[in-house]
Amino acid sequence: MSFEIPIGPQHPALKEPISLRMTVEGEVITGADIRLGYNHRGVEKVAEEKNWTQNIYLAERICGICSHSHATCFVQGVEKLMELQPPKRGLYIRYLVSELERVHSHLLWLGVAGHEAGFDSFFMYTWRDREIVMDLLEMITGNRVHYAINAIGGVRRDLDEGQKAKVLEGVATLRKRSVYYFRIGATEPSFVARIAGVGMLSLEQAVALCACGPTARASGWARDVRKEDPYAVYDELDFAVCTADTCDVLGRVVVRVKELLESYNMIEQMIRNLPGGDIACKAPRKAKPGEVVSRYEAPRGENIHYIKANGTDKPERLKVRAPTLGNYPATVEMLRNGFIADIPLIFAAIDPCICCAERTVTLIGARSGEESVVRMSDLRRRALARPENALLKRNAVWPF
Amino acid sequence: MTDAELIEKLKADLGDRVEIANPAPRRLFLKVAPRVLVDVTTRLRDAYGLVFLSTISGLDNGATFEIIYHFSTPGQDFNIRTEVPKDAPRVPSITPVIPGAILYEREIQEMFGIVVDGIPDGRRLMLSDDWPEGQFPLRKDWRHARPQEVIPGGES
Repeated sequence: MSFEIPIGPQHPALKEPISLRMTVEGEVITGADIRLGYNHRGVEKVAEEKNWTQNIYLAERICGICSHSHATCFVQGVEKLMELQPPKRGLYIRYLVSELERVHSHLLWLGVAGHEAGFDSFFMYTWRDREIVMDLLEMITGNRVHYAINAIGGVRRDLDEGQKAKVLEGVATLRKRSVYYFRIGATEPSFVARIAGVGMLSLEQAVALCACGPTARASGWARDVRKEDPYAVYDELDFAVCTADTCDVLGRVVVRVKELLESYNMIEQMIRNLPGGDIACKAPRKAKPGEVVSRYEAPRGENIHYIKANGTDKPERLKVRAPTLGNYPATVEMLRNGFIADIPLIFAAIDPCICCAERTVTLIGARSGEESVVRMSDLRRRALARPENALLKRNAVWPF
Repeated sequence: MTDAELIEKLKADLGDRVEIANPAPRRLFLKVAPRVLVDVTTRLRDAYGLVFLSTISGLDNGATFEIIYHFSTPGQDFNIRTEVPKDAPRVPSITPVIPGAILYEREIQEMFGIVVDGIPDGRRLMLSDDWPEGQFPLRKDWRHARPQEVIPGGES
């Protein structure tokens, strides 16, 4: 007998609440259907009514966690349309904030992954450390969430020597702690066993469904916009594209852990090589007619903005594609043939952090129409109880 | 392969089916007719490795709709554009070639009212179930009208 389980649509911790209808046979998911639009705000339509400067702040508010990603993607596109050359110092500060944002987003995600796998001390450690990077962001930009550091033609705030020293100090602490926790992972086999073999997405599926970001890289597809379309400062930095070939949640953890270490390196490089000079140049009010495709590697994957100008101070069209949308078709595949108990973990693995919220899930019998209400905490309890009643991938090893 | 070499190769390969523009480094814009869209996409996927579709943008140009398929390879960005008249907006679905295009095709269907022929799942993506038929919000002539507020039980 098959059942249909609706999950969602309201998830307070999500930037995009989604509803997933899961068809299950016993504990096994046989199909998933996605329904979106619960948080559709018509940003693309609004953008046509606002001028270029107002749109920076609109773009920043598309997302709460990777707010800088959207604003930067928009601003670097508009600078191309206006044929501006922002000063190097401004660009270094802008992409320094990008990498700090990636660190904060990945640390947040690692904590959530640990929490969903029942490894709460990992969650507390990573979230404690996330405060270090949040404080650095606040020091540099003045804000903890919507940094508002971008301006067309550069950034709004400069860095002084004391702030540079503090960033280096913070990154050194973070690196030391990160390396230590990743060693803890190696001595915690139950954590590795819980995440290995869960949410499989083969390389062929990832390619066919156009997965992006850490989800694609964890399936062994080395695509990274920073490397293949190096915008602004990334051709001057030394870094590697991080991949894993296990195709499961373990792989997604590994990719993000490696990216953290690469980001620490990039932050240090940017601080050490910070050029002198101005931080911004003056931008015109209008842009010439034209079009531009702006790509940016956000913490969750490729962010793409298509901007068309018509010669006025407002865009003719702004098309935004956030990486989470690109990963939804792949999520459906990951969920298929998984267990109900794995839903929180697999959701968390594409990083919409659906599970940090206490949520109500309704179980509806497909034939009887009978409903029962399950709280997210119960779902999580099932997740923790899973190792006793399900087969696990044996002998998985922590790759650090 | 540099942009210029790639353009030469594409011209030799695809002939007069495409018009190629190269406005910025690593950015190629290919213009094709809707009827050859699937053929060109298949050829580009098989011979040039265009497997990754970032998104599909729709544009309202007054008398026509323009649809841009944003692809990327590790070397270049390929933007394949096609144009359809506004009174008969139909494009073929590219999901047989690129299965990941499904969400973006559903999006242009509901936002612009462009009919995607052969789409495996033509339901709405973002708009709510009670959204009125024939209202396409990203068309330039569409304006939001706030519905009349109804107070249950009438005015006191």
